[in-house]
Amino acid sequence: MTARPAPPSSLASVEEPVVFVIDDDASVREALSNLFRSVGLRVEVFGSAHEFLQYKLPNAPSCLILDIRLPRLSGLDFQAELAKADIHIPIIFMTGHGDIPMTVRAMKAGAVDFLTKPFRDQDMLDAVTAAIERDRNSRDEAMVLSELHALFATLTPRERQVMALVTSGLMNKQIAAEIGLAEITVKIHRGHIMRKMGAKSLPDLVRMAELLGIGPASGRSQT
Amino acid sequence: MSPLMVANTWRRSAARVVRVSVLMMRKPTIKSLSSAEQWLLGSMALALGAVAGIWLLLGPVPMAAPHFIAFVLLIASLAASLVMMGLVGRTRRQMEAVLEGRLSAEARAIEALRHSEAQWKEVFEHNPVMYFMVDATGTVLSVNTFGAAQLGYSVSELLGKSVLKVFPAEEQSAAQSNVAICLENIGQTHSWEICKVRKDGSTLWVRENAKAVRLDGRLIVLIACEDVTERKQAENALRQSEMYLAKAQRLSHTGSFGLRVASGELIWSEETFRIFGFKRAPSIKLATVIQRIHPDDRGRVQRTIDRASSAGKDFAHSYRLLMPDGSIKHVHATAHAMKDASGGVEFVGAVTDITARKRAEMELHEAQATLAHVRRVTALGELAASIAHEVNQPLAAVVTNAAACRRWLNRKPPDLKEARGTVEAIIKDGNRAGEVIQRVRALVSKATDQRAALHINDVINEVISLVQHELLIHQVSLRLELSPDLPLVIADRVQLQQVILNLVINGIEAMQPVADRPRELVIRTCQDETRQIVVTVKDCGVGLAAENAGRLFDAFFTTKSGGMGMGLSICRSIIGAHGGRLSASGNAGPGATFQFTLPVTQEGAP
Repeated sequence: MTARPAPPSSLASVEEPVVFVIDDDASVREALSNLFRSVGLRVEVFGSAHEFLQYKLPNAPSCLILDIRLPRLSGLDFQAELAKADIHIPIIFMTGHGDIPMTVRAMKAGAVDFLTKPFRDQDMLDAVTAAIERDRNSRDEAMVLSELHALFATLTPRERQVMALVTSGLMNKQIAAEIGLAEITVKIHRGHIMRKMGAKSLPDLVRMAELLGIGPASGRSQT
Repeated sequence: MSPLMVANTWRRSAARVVRVSVLMMRKPTIKSLSSAEQWLLGSMALALGAVAGIWLLLGPVPMAAPHFIAFVLLIASLAASLVMMGLVGRTRRQMEAVLEGRLSAEARAIEALRHSEAQWKEVFEHNPVMYFMVDATGTVLSVNTFGAAQLGYSVSELLGKSVLKVFPAEEQSAAQSNVAICLENIGQTHSWEICKVRKDGSTLWVRENAKAVRLDGRLIVLIACEDVTERKQAENALRQSEMYLAKAQRLSHTGSFGLRVASGELIWSEETFRIFGFKRAPSIKLATVIQRIHPDDRGRVQRTIDRASSAGKDFAHSYRLLMPDGSIKHVHATAHAMKDASGGVEFVGAVTDITARKRAEMELHEAQATLAHVRRVTALGELAASIAHEVNQPLAAVVTNAAACRRWLNRKPPDLKEARGTVEAIIKDGNRAGEVIQRVRALVSKATDQRAALHINDVINEVISLVQHELLIHQVSLRLELSPDLPLVIADRVQLQQVILNLVINGIEAMQPVADRPRELVIRTCQDETRQIVVTVKDCGVGLAAENAGRLFDAFFTTKSGGMGMGLSICRSIIGAHGGRLSASGNAGPGATFQFTLPVTQEGAP
């Protein structure tokens, strides 16, 4: 994928929110653009999925408004393709009448909302606001996670092993027995881990481990 | 009664009278009368001479003087008797000659009469005319040999018999009344045609001339008959043939006509009179007939005839008649140009009342139009989702823009520039939705045959706008290769849309089973070498099965489970009605290509 969200450099979003619209119908496209502009939202419109993929996505909370019936590549297929490319952007589908099976599929695939054309402007704006909020949150979470990953990366393999066992609730003595180290050595590792990860307490470290997806299994797997 | 016969009869009578008187005159002979006179005179002279001689020889010797006187007297009397004999002989000869001359003239006359009578008899007996002489009761008094023979009888078989014998039962009363008429008008000739029957029962037609005359104080009817059986047969055959022809004309609603251009005179058959609703007449004026032609067609008909007349060329045309009762007749006339004896143009032709055919055609046309309409509505039903989408898009844009506009206006201060721009967009989108509806309504409408000059590419684009959704659902990509500089065609927009719609839907359906290659539909327009417009719809679907290729365009032929089999059949008739041709062929690769042509001018469209 050519367009990936730029890696976050800080916890805060660097740019204002953007609404992306993909619809093959220029009238609908322009009308939506007009609506979002009238409420002061930044909007970018595209005639096809392909055009959208050519676009360098900004580092901003955003959402994608997609007609479920797009020429060549359908909205649903495009949704799947974005997921495959690890682009996570809330999608609001616009549907015509009688597209219920497709709508169900879209929702199952993680669409945040769907609106039937013609839609009420407030419904659209509400959906967009919610989607942007969701994106903002997930971006924040993603940033936290990526910082944790960065911290986690500074741990030595042995420290990572110890961290997994600690967060799984084992006592130092148990850990020492598990991996064949002296209890004092485990204690030292534990201190390093707490410092490197910036964890204030054990529950704090456990939460981090959960976010990082580190469990006892990963700790034991290395034995 | 023929004058010949009358004359003949009179001559015969005259000849008989002459013959009778001549026979009476011939009894005494002139020759015997003449020799008796001669002998009388001669013997008187001889007797005198003998008396004188005897007296001289035997009488007393006379005195020289009286003796001499007596002798002289004797000589003188002898001489005188000789002279007298000579005179008498001459006179007799003269008389004989006169008598002989008279006799031979008589003989010649008799001979001539005899000859003449024989001739007349010959004429009477063998002249190829049947002569009958009947009395007032109809009994045959006389018949010639020929007449009897013609009827298969001998003369004697007919003489004294009723003349009715030679008439068939059904003609006898006619024969009797004919004779009666003659008897009522003595001396006047009457003629008639009547059927007679021969002895062997066969019949013959005769023309009879008859006249009643008074002969020897009694009324007789002289009749001459001429065998006209052949003529009658020919006449009958001709009449039969004419009757058949008239019947055939009646049955086929086709009348014949002849037109002399110079006189503007038309000779019509009975059926032609019937078609045009005029009373039968020997001839009728073209100008009169033109008035019966529907006013809207009159000029055209007149021009066609004028043009053909001046060029001396054949012509054919159809037009309507406006009958006096206000009804309309459709007729078709064809005429062949000929030169008449004086070199003028003459037309011989036929005119057919095609009203019933026209009506049937119109009904068929209506039925086809209804079917086409049903098919269009059905197709639109199949496209309902697509059409809804097409209407919904601009509608969504309108609603969204309207909402945006309100927001622009609600700003403080209101952003009028944006609001104005938004209103423009609303108008544009509203119109677009209206156009889609109009297009659909046109396809649903029953109105057909509204031909106008149009761009084929426009028609294609209008159809495409209705099938977008269909293309999407079936994941068919459409490629348009529309030649930009095509001339206009004169056509019915809705009908052409129907054809294109049908071909496109067929193409989409044909590609439904295709999974291993992109589903692509190509619509192409171009002009061929004859400047005809060619529209091609090419798919890459299942293609045409060879066994079905011949039946593709047949009505009720379908390969689809839910198909009615009318689509392509209707398409072909629509294109045919536009003077074009719809054909199908398999592609070199997968799929099939449907192609139709359209003439660029109105010519070629019926």
